[in-house]
Amino acid sequence: MNKPYHWNRRCVLRASGVTIALPGLESIQTTHAGEASDALEEPKAKRFVCVGTYLGFYQEAFFPKQSGRNYELSELLRELGEFRDEFTVFSGFDHQAPNGHAAWNNFLCGQTPNEYSLDQRIADHLGASYRYPSFQLSAGKASQTMSHTKQGIALPMVQRPSVLYSKLFASDADRHRTEYLLRSGRSAMDSVLEDARQLQRSVSKADQVKLGEYFDSIREVERRMSRNLELGEVTHTTDYKLPDYDPVAPTMQLEAEKLMYDLMALAIETDSTPVLSLFIGGLGQVFTIDGETLQAGYHALSHHGNDPDAIRDLIRVEREHMKCFAHFLGLLKSKTDASGVSLLDSTIVLLGTGMGDASRHANRNLPTLVAGGGFNHGQHVANDSSSNQPRLLGDLYITLMQHFGMSVETFSNATRNLNDLLTS
Amino acid sequence: MSKRLRCNFAAAVIGGVLLSLMNASLVDAITPDESNPNHDAIEEKYSLEDARSFLKTYCMDCHVSGSSSEGAKYFELLLNDEGLAKLEPFDRSETADGQSFQSEPLDEKSHQRWIRVLEVIEGHEMPPSDAESPSSTESAKMISWVDHQLQSFSTLGGTPPRRLSREEYQATIEAVFGIKDFKLPSGFPVDRPQHGFNNLGEGLILSPTLLEAYAEGARSVADQIFPPPRELPDPSLNIVQPTDLVISYSSAKVVGDALRLGMKCDPIQRSCTWPSRFEAKVTGEYEVTVLLSTFQPADVSEPMVVKIFARDVASADSVSHRSLRLLEEISVTSESPEEFRFDAVLYEGQTVVLHWANAVLDSDRDDKVRLREFFESKHRENPKYLAAWHTMLEGEQGQGFRGGIGWERVKTLLADPDLPEITEQQVEAVLKKIVGNPVLYAETVVFDVFENGPSLEIHRVEVSGPTRLSEGPREQESERLRQRLIGDASTERDSIDAVLERVFRRPVDKQTLNRWHAIYDQHVSEGFSAEQALHLVVRNALISPRFLYRCLSGNELDSYDLATRLSYFLTMRPPDEKLLRKVTQLDDQLVLRDEAKRLIPTSPGSSWVKSFTEQWLDTQKLADIMPDRTFKYSRLDQKNAKLEVEHFFAEMLRENRPLRDFVDPDFTYTSPRVAKNVYEVQTVFDKKKANDLLRISLPRGGRFGGVLGFSAVMLATSNGVDTQPVTRGVWVLEKLLGQTVPPPPNAVPPLTPDTRGAQSPRELLAMHTSEGACARCHRRIDPFGLVLESFDPVGRWREAWPEVPGQLDSKVEILDGTVIEDVRGLKEWMLDHLSDFGTSLGKHLMVYATGRPMSYLETKEIERLVQHNLEAEEGFRDLLIDLIASPIFAAK
Repeated sequence: MNKPYHWNRRCVLRASGVTIALPGLESIQTTHAGEASDALEEPKAKRFVCVGTYLGFYQEAFFPKQSGRNYELSELLRELGEFRDEFTVFSGFDHQAPNGHAAWNNFLCGQTPNEYSLDQRIADHLGASYRYPSFQLSAGKASQTMSHTKQGIALPMVQRPSVLYSKLFASDADRHRTEYLLRSGRSAMDSVLEDARQLQRSVSKADQVKLGEYFDSIREVERRMSRNLELGEVTHTTDYKLPDYDPVAPTMQLEAEKLMYDLMALAIETDSTPVLSLFIGGLGQVFTIDGETLQAGYHALSHHGNDPDAIRDLIRVEREHMKCFAHFLGLLKSKTDASGVSLLDSTIVLLGTGMGDASRHANRNLPTLVAGGGFNHGQHVANDSSSNQPRLLGDLYITLMQHFGMSVETFSNATRNLNDLLTS
Repeated sequence: MSKRLRCNFAAAVIGGVLLSLMNASLVDAITPDESNPNHDAIEEKYSLEDARSFLKTYCMDCHVSGSSSEGAKYFELLLNDEGLAKLEPFDRSETADGQSFQSEPLDEKSHQRWIRVLEVIEGHEMPPSDAESPSSTESAKMISWVDHQLQSFSTLGGTPPRRLSREEYQATIEAVFGIKDFKLPSGFPVDRPQHGFNNLGEGLILSPTLLEAYAEGARSVADQIFPPPRELPDPSLNIVQPTDLVISYSSAKVVGDALRLGMKCDPIQRSCTWPSRFEAKVTGEYEVTVLLSTFQPADVSEPMVVKIFARDVASADSVSHRSLRLLEEISVTSESPEEFRFDAVLYEGQTVVLHWANAVLDSDRDDKVRLREFFESKHRENPKYLAAWHTMLEGEQGQGFRGGIGWERVKTLLADPDLPEITEQQVEAVLKKIVGNPVLYAETVVFDVFENGPSLEIHRVEVSGPTRLSEGPREQESERLRQRLIGDASTERDSIDAVLERVFRRPVDKQTLNRWHAIYDQHVSEGFSAEQALHLVVRNALISPRFLYRCLSGNELDSYDLATRLSYFLTMRPPDEKLLRKVTQLDDQLVLRDEAKRLIPTSPGSSWVKSFTEQWLDTQKLADIMPDRTFKYSRLDQKNAKLEVEHFFAEMLRENRPLRDFVDPDFTYTSPRVAKNVYEVQTVFDKKKANDLLRISLPRGGRFGGVLGFSAVMLATSNGVDTQPVTRGVWVLEKLLGQTVPPPPNAVPPLTPDTRGAQSPRELLAMHTSEGACARCHRRIDPFGLVLESFDPVGRWREAWPEVPGQLDSKVEILDGTVIEDVRGLKEWMLDHLSDFGTSLGKHLMVYATGRPMSYLETKEIERLVQHNLEAEEGFRDLLIDLIASPIFAAK
């Protein structure tokens, strides 16, 4: 298997437009938690990407008719045909949660909305030593919440590609500002600490102990500031160019989606973060696809009421999502990390939704797909959700977490796993 | 003088005594504590030997050894000669260094455990009914002895430094700097509650992640006041073609070389358009050019009025154009493209929005007449028109299809020579259906307008600039904040001093000021500007412990700390100007009482009323509970139920109502909908006002109203689907009676909703109260839960359990032997024990106010104030003021 790698001076990632220039340091070691070299068994996956579409997918066009390995690609999955052996599609999985738009939020949270989400669990496991432990992104309006911290706080999503871009490839002006804030903050800290110590001396013994929390925290923050200053010197440059506008207008969502996927691939390539989540919105916007403006907005199409014309247009939109997704898988597959492993093999990509059937707002049988990450892919796993003890979407999540080397046996209402299907 | 009631020497001695009950030689060491007013003669007559003999006679048989329950361990320890000062559940085999504990005073946990020992004797929980029991005199003597011991041990005060809670931090930033709606950095951690509240010193931990969030917040504050300088970017010309304008829902359509608008309803996403690839990079002046024409105007003499607004591209698309800033109004009369040009200030991130203000079609619900007229006129032009609509609407589950697809169907039908005619009645039915859902059908018929007019054509939009920078709201706000913060300062030093005094909530001594001046001077000497140096000072002052913590002084609260405690308690904010002017007089009881009176909020919207009630009564849980659909309890009902508690509490304060009204009031605040569906009260039912909160009268002695009848309470103690009698029982004990309930032992399966079947909850609970290990607590808990079973999960009265045959039986016998028929009986019982309720309320208030759990001594003092309140027939506000004026509040 691939070894944990360290940044080397002027290390240039293969097959990419990204270069990293380092200052006079001989090398900076960024051994990340998930890559701990001395671990008993090295985790197979190093990064996690999850994509959630607000309006889900038209089930007839998403799920294959046959299960097992020799299934025939469905209309939507045909867009991913090239990667047939690098993903697994799941039907009949969900969290057994209530229906309605509001319950969408339990996509990554399990049966209860707004609980510690899958991506954040993984980010807390992998992210500590990264510049950014995780990113939350959206293409289109973030009408729901997807990522929730351990405390259940919904994390806001970045809707502007330019914002993500500037975090990955800070402009000189931005970098100077950040550096200025860090340097000036750190230099003032001595006086702040001296003042705090003076204060500490004036309070009672018991209170001094309580204030210990403050001193412990500020020392840690100071350490992180120094680290960020060092990391700030690791500058990534890219020849990738964004358009000079942000596609935040509702009709530009598909374009935003493609840009976000490009930037996510760059974020992975530059090892800026181990966890990314992308929300794909869906409101009233009327899309123009291949030069043709559709006859109704996306949201109206999703309430197709079985009208064939509406379904046709809905599938056109969904195929665009799939094309973007295929493009992303292609980017990951074509790039390798320092040890020569394709980024797709070391990245688990989850495509799913909190909406089973938007036409009825039903949250059962959630269209789900997992690609990459070194799993044993290539099949359609059909789950009998009407059985006595159906397997749950949470079972899949348990397997994903275990694949990152996390020792977890439960997730929300799920207590089993799908290791037999994916890792054997 | 130290406010602690006893010196450490006494603590050591008495600590030794309690834990060495078998060692009679220490009996004489008990020294009466002069400062304790409750001390009387009983204790002197009742010796340690008597206490030991009491325990030996009535407790030891079970509690010496053999049993593994927690209770048993207490007494094993009590009798351990090696002696531990604390009452820790303890495994004897681990006793390695028992000696070192000898002189340690009771800690908080042991303190609570001793109180529990007292409670079980007092409440006849122990000894169990089948064992030998002490006489009432014996019990009374023992109780009095333990009471005295506890009071002697007990301390007054002892709050650790309190970090500002999440809510306090946010409110403090707003108050200190005058920033409106200060946004916390994303992912800002929430505080973990302790003893039921999220503002206790002990629970408010500071972590590196939180300190980073504070630093991030500090940077955002500093940036708002002293923003980094802006630069004028190179101007650019943006030419926007019709295909590059936003279309959402059915707002527009590109026909030929123009985009056509056809509707004028409020939400911009349904009526307006804007460039999809342009936004202003900086706040500045731009030149806007639009190329417009009319298409098939209804009346050529009447110009088409186009309004052009500015909007933030990233804001919601559902906003009304009425909320946007108008840039220009244009009259279009020409059927060939005409150019209009104007200058406009656009703020950073804004774009231009085009709106046809006098379009014929309007899908807003209150304009049904126009929509009907529109269809009627179409029908006059073409008598097949409504027949085609009729047929289209018959399809697709009787709704037809929306948007262009629907219109294509209508067109096909219009072209069909075999289209069946429809009767006058059917015409009327079609019209009625259409105006019944204008949003849906205007979205379809607008495609007729796009094709056949009248519509407005947009041929091109151009925005060029910026030609120069201008001041937007953000720059003006910065100026206002700067003025407010340092406007009065004449020198840079004065500015710094002004900042620090505000941020640290007290006068700052010279030595401290010097240290902060040094930060400023250093930065300026490195070549940075005065504003940058102030930016740095603000950023750092906001991560200083002087700002982040309150209650940070020696062993006593000084007057600034006291003012801060008072102010945060009642307003969740730092002291205001008026309070600061009185700060040195706060040791005068009258001044303190006056200030309390002034600051006590009287309106239900106050942050304190919300924060306190939602934590005291658990109504904050409502946000996480989804009531089952069968209850027909809407999100709005849920919101109103929570507000009800806050409005009720505010009136209790404002009107200084007696404590009994918490239990059995003659009023509540609710919406007509909830009044009717839950409280069985019919109010004037105006559909439009169905969800407005109003004050209604309730009969005293009834089922609803008060802390035992709030819909919000019933929902908070259920899971949204089923009631949870044990949760309700614990809720009554902890929230209303101020008792502590230990967590259930591990081995016991929880009472799950699924196991109900044919068994009633009553039968299930009966297993609790009969089985040994469970019985001790559940005999105390379950009756209160069962009697509230008459309320379903949203608080409606019910006579039967779902899926359980027969009548619901809520009759219970509580631990003191009282038989209670239903909630009305419970209210009566609680009125008889109003002092317990009042003490519990007072305790919750003081825990919240002081940020520490109440000691035994403090609880006794609260009890005394409550009894006085009841005897003097005073009101709730009087009690609150008495509490604030008490030594409990003033003790650090």
